[in-house]
Amino acid sequence: MATVERKSQGSLNLGLRAWGTRHVYSFFSSIGTLLRSPLGTLMTVAVLGIAMALPLGLWVALKNLQQVNPAAEDISTISVFLNAGAKQAKVDKLAAEINAWPEVESLKALSPEEALADFRKNSGFAAAVDALADNPLPWVFELKLQAVDIKLESHNETVAQQIERLLIRLESFPEIDFAQYDLQWLERLQAIMGLGATISRILAILFGFAVIFVVGNTIRLDIQNRREEIEVMSLVGATEAFIRRPFLYTGFWYGLLGGLVALTLVSLSLALIGGPLERLLLSYQSDFQLLLPGINGSLLVLVGGGLLGLFGGALAVRRHLNNLNPG
Amino acid sequence: MVVVCGHSLSCFPSPSEVCGLSMIRFERVSKRYPGGVQALSDVSFHLESGEMAFLTGHSGAGKSTLLRLIALLDRASRGQVFLQGRNLANIPRRKLPLLRRSVGVIFQDHKLLSDKTVFDNVALPLLIAGWRYQEISKRVRAALDQVDLLRKERVMPVSLSGGEQQRVGIARAIVSNPPVLLADEPTGNLDPDLSADLMTLFCRLNELGTTVLIASHDIALIQRLQRRVLVLEQGKILNQEAAGSLG
Repeated sequence: MATVERKSQGSLNLGLRAWGTRHVYSFFSSIGTLLRSPLGTLMTVAVLGIAMALPLGLWVALKNLQQVNPAAEDISTISVFLNAGAKQAKVDKLAAEINAWPEVESLKALSPEEALADFRKNSGFAAAVDALADNPLPWVFELKLQAVDIKLESHNETVAQQIERLLIRLESFPEIDFAQYDLQWLERLQAIMGLGATISRILAILFGFAVIFVVGNTIRLDIQNRREEIEVMSLVGATEAFIRRPFLYTGFWYGLLGGLVALTLVSLSLALIGGPLERLLLSYQSDFQLLLPGINGSLLVLVGGGLLGLFGGALAVRRHLNNLNPG
Repeated sequence: MVVVCGHSLSCFPSPSEVCGLSMIRFERVSKRYPGGVQALSDVSFHLESGEMAFLTGHSGAGKSTLLRLIALLDRASRGQVFLQGRNLANIPRRKLPLLRRSVGVIFQDHKLLSDKTVFDNVALPLLIAGWRYQEISKRVRAALDQVDLLRKERVMPVSLSGGEQQRVGIARAIVSNPPVLLADEPTGNLDPDLSADLMTLFCRLNELGTTVLIASHDIALIQRLQRRVLVLEQGKILNQEAAGSLG
């Protein structure tokens, strides 16, 4: 009994070792295939890389844009623009009245002179401002709203309605030109980014198919070029799995290398536009930092690319390596 | 060593007294290719374990087809082919490669891989069977030694002569010690001296217990060797001549 057990364990070890040997063979055989025609491999990988770089680039761009999400309380203000030429006394009276509303927590009145000085300092258009004969800016009130739970996520219908009512009420004053809720532009930006995310997903699916077909076609050609070798291997007793495996590995390598190229392309592009972009964004907001794809994103691209390549290889192998053995 | 005939794929050349069964047996085998070419019709014969025989006939008589049926590269349209007592019609498709490893085949056009060294070509069957590298290396050298090509193991097949390439093919066929060896016109492109050397090699392998079937139309050579001869004509076995009585 014991002997039988030992024997079966031995044959299991032997089987495992044989399995390992065959995989090592496939591994090196597939790498050999790629290295045998370096130019062709390079071109295929470049095509795959560019295909994958498009959705990846869009995704990374969106990730960077999402940073432009200032704390909601900082901008959950209403800017009220008064008519030009409003008198100081009238403005003071109006400010006092609005400040007394229960929705308003605080009101900050900005005179045209203050506003101009502010603009001159922050916009970088000092020379243009100096060239102005008159001050074109009106009085501005900045209303901080009272304890309304204004966060982007919980921005439900009723809060929006409340704010809308408030804006209408403010604009009904003859002295007030218009009132603007600052969170609106952020909402619009987010809607645009949502659209971008959808587009990037659609692109990812389309280019995912492209990767599958490009790899599938490359492997198909490879299979045709190696008909003779396949035939000989089959003659000396190779199983279909053994013959298929190097092609599957090759597909995986193509996808993986394509992913690597895509990551490199996107990172390089970011590095190129990163400097100017950062300077631009810093003039608006102080805490912007350029985001790269990151470890998780990179792993996703590499593994995802590899799997797509594997799938493409599997398609080609299924289609073109089917009749090795007679019925 | 107890070998239950037909149950061990790696069956070392089984002496006929152990196996008792024939190594190769055809029972009323016909083969018709798609398109209507009748390559074999109603062929019956058997080869005992450890026997060596020739298969002869004009080109197109069905020699290659017969070998292909034994090597499991094709299936018979009708009748039954037995290899080591197994009916090949009952072997499922996915098991064919495993069984194929028990038959060494030598082709007239060698079928070597031109982008691999002599060593790698000969090692292919062992790699496929999943042998360990040290073992592979030992066996490949032994096989190359048998065909007297040990010096050329690192050479590419293209730089070898026709006879040398043929011997590489033989080394590949015998490297895993298959119980059956088939050769399709192995002397087709060789000069008489080389052909004779090759036949001596086949005889030596046969003496070691391998069942050998050689398709050839080199009547002179066949006659010299005094072995059984199967004559095929238009897909039929004409007669199974006793040793040397041909002509």
